[in-house]
Amino acid sequence: MNHDINVKKLRLNCFRQSKVPGEFMLQMRVPGGTVDAKYLSVIQHIAETWGDGAFHFGTRQTFDITGIKYENIPAVNEYLEQYIREVDAELCGVDMDTVAHEPHPWDPKSGYPTIGARNISGCIGNYHCICGNINTFELARKIEGIIFPSHYHIKINISGCPNDCNKAHLCDFGIIGVSKMTYHAQRCIGCAACVRACEHGATRVLSLNEGIAKIDKDPCCCVGCGECVRACPTSAWTRSEEPLYRVILGGRTGRQTPRTGKMFLNWASEDVVLGVLKNWQKFSAWVMDYKPEYLHGGHLIDRAGYKKFKEIVLEGVELNPECLVAEDIFWHETEYRSNFNVKPIELHHTAGPRA
Amino acid sequence: MGYTLNRQQADALLAALRKDYTVYAPKRFRNQGRYSDTDIIRYAEVERFEDIVWQTKSDYPAKEVLTPIQQAIFYFTEDEYRESKGPRKPILILARPCDINAQHVQARIYAGNGGYTDLYYERMRELVKFAMMECGGGDDTCFCVSMGTNKTDDYSLAMKFSDDGVQVQVTDGAFAPYFGDLPQADYTPAFVEENELKVTVPDLDDKEVRKALKSHPMWQEFNARCISCGACTVACSTCTCFTTRDVIYGDNPEVGERRRVTSSCQIAGFDQMAGQREFRSTAADRMRYKVLHKFHDYKARFGDSHMCVGCGRCTHRCPELISISATVNKVSAAVDEIKAGLAKQ
Repeated sequence: MNHDINVKKLRLNCFRQSKVPGEFMLQMRVPGGTVDAKYLSVIQHIAETWGDGAFHFGTRQTFDITGIKYENIPAVNEYLEQYIREVDAELCGVDMDTVAHEPHPWDPKSGYPTIGARNISGCIGNYHCICGNINTFELARKIEGIIFPSHYHIKINISGCPNDCNKAHLCDFGIIGVSKMTYHAQRCIGCAACVRACEHGATRVLSLNEGIAKIDKDPCCCVGCGECVRACPTSAWTRSEEPLYRVILGGRTGRQTPRTGKMFLNWASEDVVLGVLKNWQKFSAWVMDYKPEYLHGGHLIDRAGYKKFKEIVLEGVELNPECLVAEDIFWHETEYRSNFNVKPIELHHTAGPRA
Repeated sequence: MGYTLNRQQADALLAALRKDYTVYAPKRFRNQGRYSDTDIIRYAEVERFEDIVWQTKSDYPAKEVLTPIQQAIFYFTEDEYRESKGPRKPILILARPCDINAQHVQARIYAGNGGYTDLYYERMRELVKFAMMECGGGDDTCFCVSMGTNKTDDYSLAMKFSDDGVQVQVTDGAFAPYFGDLPQADYTPAFVEENELKVTVPDLDDKEVRKALKSHPMWQEFNARCISCGACTVACSTCTCFTTRDVIYGDNPEVGERRRVTSSCQIAGFDQMAGQREFRSTAADRMRYKVLHKFHDYKARFGDSHMCVGCGRCTHRCPELISISATVNKVSAAVDEIKAGLAKQ
């Protein structure tokens, strides 16, 4: 057995080091967590031919295959070509001959070119779910080509509605499908089913105006979930014709300072979300002086400061009229170690181009 | 007289009709469905031929034109009041046979019931003429044939739609002038002769059977399933229940209007009386009331038909997937069981 293996190089190739020396776990990208079921036979083939026969659902919705021996990695990569071509290049329109949008020819027999931007995870969204406001995997497929292949790290979670089953609040860039509701007073029978639904499942923004038996709404605190639409027996509440998005920024787990993300954009159009993501590499590159490190997006925002982040990622993005942007964000971290950020100044991280 | 019109000619006909009639038809409202990326098809004024949704059944019935969900009935200022004017222009409604037959039920309730004719229904009905949309068979919630409402001759025009245009039969001479020199071609409408779904309405003539059915355990199922939202009755082609509400315009309680607003026997509080007394305080009670009203009580009182035209819209709109046809079949099974029990005694 080979005992001289560059595990960092293999990690970039999406093979994760095992506690068993010489074995690795393959992580296959599944943008938005949904692909044709025919690929289950691809997983089975890899697991039974080169792996240890087990299959793990990756926590970021990758197809994970354990127990792949180092010497079999070239064969696995060769076999992966078709999957990568079909799912990333064709389904998501990813230009595989680039890295971070710069020309970089891909050897199709060599497997994944970067690990960088992690698999975009998604709940099933409105492809199936009665609560979903958006098609999560269609959005993921549009984003995939913007953030991959790249050595800059970003974790994107997409949830179809503010119930946030897919934890947009716990990743660098969480996207939640929302809607701005229209109230058709002429169709309202004053039954208050929406009031009860909002109170039970959302933010209590609706109330029955007893005088006119119609609904009053506090639009400020509406989360855009659409529970009122689902509850209404007469279609007096309807969603906006085009979906909108909420972006939750800077959430993370981790050993140091886990934290819930905070709202960065509200009622953003798809163009705005994609436009901001197109600036993500630029921001990451600027913070790290164009040398990618193994650091996720939230940490980069910490280094540069939210206002610098905002300046760079909104460059050239035309905000839709409804879109609101956080002027500032104050995250609340779990400090496993008190005064975690207080340390000798020479240990402080810096951001931006270095002299 | 029959005509075959291409899309352009159909558009021209619609434009000509719209000069003299407000034309209502099922229209698609994009992404306004209960779930995201689903549409609602409901009655609305149509301006172009392509606005008319003929391929699928509307989610909401044609009754919304005649008896809107909300209408002002009079306006008041101190001790004076004025009746609302309502529409003046004649109305043409494009409707399938089920919706047209449903108006016979609505008319029974509004016009003459209890020796009283409802002004607001009557003044609207007088303006309305029907263009019958030939039905291609509806969907798998339809059971018009079982209810005998698959056919009608109550129409001024009959229309058979296709992607290429529309075939029209003119049965009302008043409409002949709109067709001028449009291409003539014989067309006689066909009616649905069989639905996938068949419903047998149980025989509930025997009072002992009805008494036993009222307390039959079958209704308990709905306490766990029905959420009493009323979507079924709002979507119902025949349901007429409404409530009245006085709306004060501002801070002066002497100025306002009285409205008629759709109501539903399925919603809690519908039958609440002075002293907070309710006849039917559970979802099961309310479901039993609705089903027996539609499939027994109405006919027992008025004699000619049941209060259901088998359009299936209640099934289609129910968010809890409760099927009216399955429910009626459960009633039939319960009635058989009750009758067998009574026969043994």
